[in-house]
Amino acid sequence: MLFQISEQIVNGIVTGSVYAIVAVGMTMIFGVLRAINFAHGEYYMVGTFGAWVAIEFFDLPYPIAVAAGVIATAFVALVVGKFVMQRMVGAPAEAGVLATLGIALILQNTVILVFGGGYKFFEGGYIEPVTIFGVSLAEQRLLIIVIAVLVFFGLELLVTYSRMGKAMRAVSQNVDCCAVVGIDVRKVVVTTFILGAALAGLSGVLTAPVNVSVYGGMGELITFKTLPIIIMGGLGNVRGTFFAAMILGIAESLVATYVGLQFRDTVGFATLMLVLMWRPHGLFSAQARY
Amino acid sequence: MATTTDRRAFCLLASAACLAVAPAFHGVALAQDNGIRLGIVAPMSGPNARYGAFSLRGAQLAAKEINAAGGIDGRKIEVFSADSQGTPVEGVSATRRLIAQDKVDFVIGDVSSSVTLAMQPVVEDAGVLLINAASSNPKITYAAGVGGFKWSFRNYPTDENRALIVAQYAAEKRGFTKFAVLSVDSDYGRSAIEFTKKYLPRFKGQILTEDYYKEGEVDFRSVLAKIRDSGAQAIIMYGLADTTPIIARQMTEVGLAGKIPLIGNGEFNTEKTIKSAPKALEGAVEAAAWLPAWDSPKSKGFVTRFTAEYREAPNNHAYVHWETVNLLGKAVEAAKSIDRTKVRDALAKIKYDSAVGEVTFDDHNQAKLPMILLQIEDGKPVVKGAYSADIDYPR
Repeated sequence: MLFQISEQIVNGIVTGSVYAIVAVGMTMIFGVLRAINFAHGEYYMVGTFGAWVAIEFFDLPYPIAVAAGVIATAFVALVVGKFVMQRMVGAPAEAGVLATLGIALILQNTVILVFGGGYKFFEGGYIEPVTIFGVSLAEQRLLIIVIAVLVFFGLELLVTYSRMGKAMRAVSQNVDCCAVVGIDVRKVVVTTFILGAALAGLSGVLTAPVNVSVYGGMGELITFKTLPIIIMGGLGNVRGTFFAAMILGIAESLVATYVGLQFRDTVGFATLMLVLMWRPHGLFSAQARY
Repeated sequence: MATTTDRRAFCLLASAACLAVAPAFHGVALAQDNGIRLGIVAPMSGPNARYGAFSLRGAQLAAKEINAAGGIDGRKIEVFSADSQGTPVEGVSATRRLIAQDKVDFVIGDVSSSVTLAMQPVVEDAGVLLINAASSNPKITYAAGVGGFKWSFRNYPTDENRALIVAQYAAEKRGFTKFAVLSVDSDYGRSAIEFTKKYLPRFKGQILTEDYYKEGEVDFRSVLAKIRDSGAQAIIMYGLADTTPIIARQMTEVGLAGKIPLIGNGEFNTEKTIKSAPKALEGAVEAAAWLPAWDSPKSKGFVTRFTAEYREAPNNHAYVHWETVNLLGKAVEAAKSIDRTKVRDALAKIKYDSAVGEVTFDDHNQAKLPMILLQIEDGKPVVKGAYSADIDYPR
């Protein structure tokens, strides 16, 4: 019994790591743009497809495919950032919702148009199981945990010490003041957007080998899971997002085991409601943004 | 100001052009009225799109073959496709579109039971013949024929047939008594399990755990670990083909591969699926309406022609749609007309030789036809025979 619970917690941490990498991008984008990016799951999908194309059509090894997926996402994010997201600075919240929902539809349907609507089989990655403390895991899942930790460590460093990171924090606090003191707000917005989207893409490429199937609509579920995480984590809060993602991952894993798999997807929003009743501003929002 | 005027002018011109072109399209439609207008409702996008693509291709291949042979009494089959996205709402509007805009007389669809159930009242109101070729929820034919709907037929075995055949094989040939359930959370997955439960006591079988997954679910590790620790001897799975490789791979991960086989249905037997996790799929048992490995001249001929046409081997859905278009062709031939009522009556009385066996319809408009059972041995699907089981309709 105890072993079973610990195994489920490990499973939850793996799931949580995936959510964390996706959600942190979304929360950062919210921080600087004040817009919930409803197309976030689609960047996850674009990243996966980028890697799938690299493997399927160019026969590239998995590590290069990872890079290809992330670069593809970053490129799409650059285009969207330049032409759409930059205009969202100071725009009303509804504009951001509509624009990102539109982008989600466009990206999804473009991929379906080009590659067809069916599931694709993702080959590659490190799927051999290894046993650690009696828990059997695919090597890929260990890789996901390690990369999630590295990503968050890197982001902490970035927002605390780098010039761009400081600018991001500044923009997230007050756009007008940033413009007054000469910070290039548009550049900060596009950079954050590309970074956030690329992280979603990275997460997609990392999970593809264990999730096996790749299809145009795969991002929807991710957006759906990410929303409660970023709200729970306190919108715009990087560290909070990490813990919220882990809580959701572990809660989902336990519910899937002890209540039933079919209830898994309800966990996110149920937890969110409970958290919001108790702390209307999110779990971790007492901490400073970034 | 100048640009505004230009835009207005453009809009006016564009609308005028649309109005002018619209009757032209209408003319084209009327010109082909002596053809057979056949609508295919199938998921062309969304998680079930793969099935939809196979369905449409199967139907198109049949239409092409029939047309190449001179049509039916000189009538060519014209195929209209509409996307159901695998959801009842879209399925209903797709069906309405086919009937109202494309003026089809016959509809084949849908793959998903939930969608077919929603389509039934629509075709009933319109008096358009619906032949379902790929959904297996028994309710579809419980409610048809003497059960109510006069225009719905089904040329596919039901979950009830399948549940009985699979349970019997697992118990008698493999000696399993303890089962775990992991099925898709839909009318198809739920009802297959409902019927399994109806027949399991007959074979002293019991279900230890019961889980249903949502379409698009990708993480099965928690539930597979639970199954591993439950003492089940086999997993009864009525699932989606695209999810099978994910589950099989994660079975390998949690150490279930080679210990607990999958039993039920969900394309366990395709080369791609077996390749995804060969060890997990060894010993898997599947009951299907048709399988590419089925050895009959008609079936082999279909596989060859389909593969030549689309450079991909057909699956079950391609076959059933191909066969159903042929079946409809025979019904039109027997009716000597495309009058809907006459074709419907001819279909009810038909004796049709399919690639699997003889097809006739019972008083619930349900086809009586055998199912094929296979087991994966050494990474290859081995056909274990064709079985049929009669349905007890609830009174």
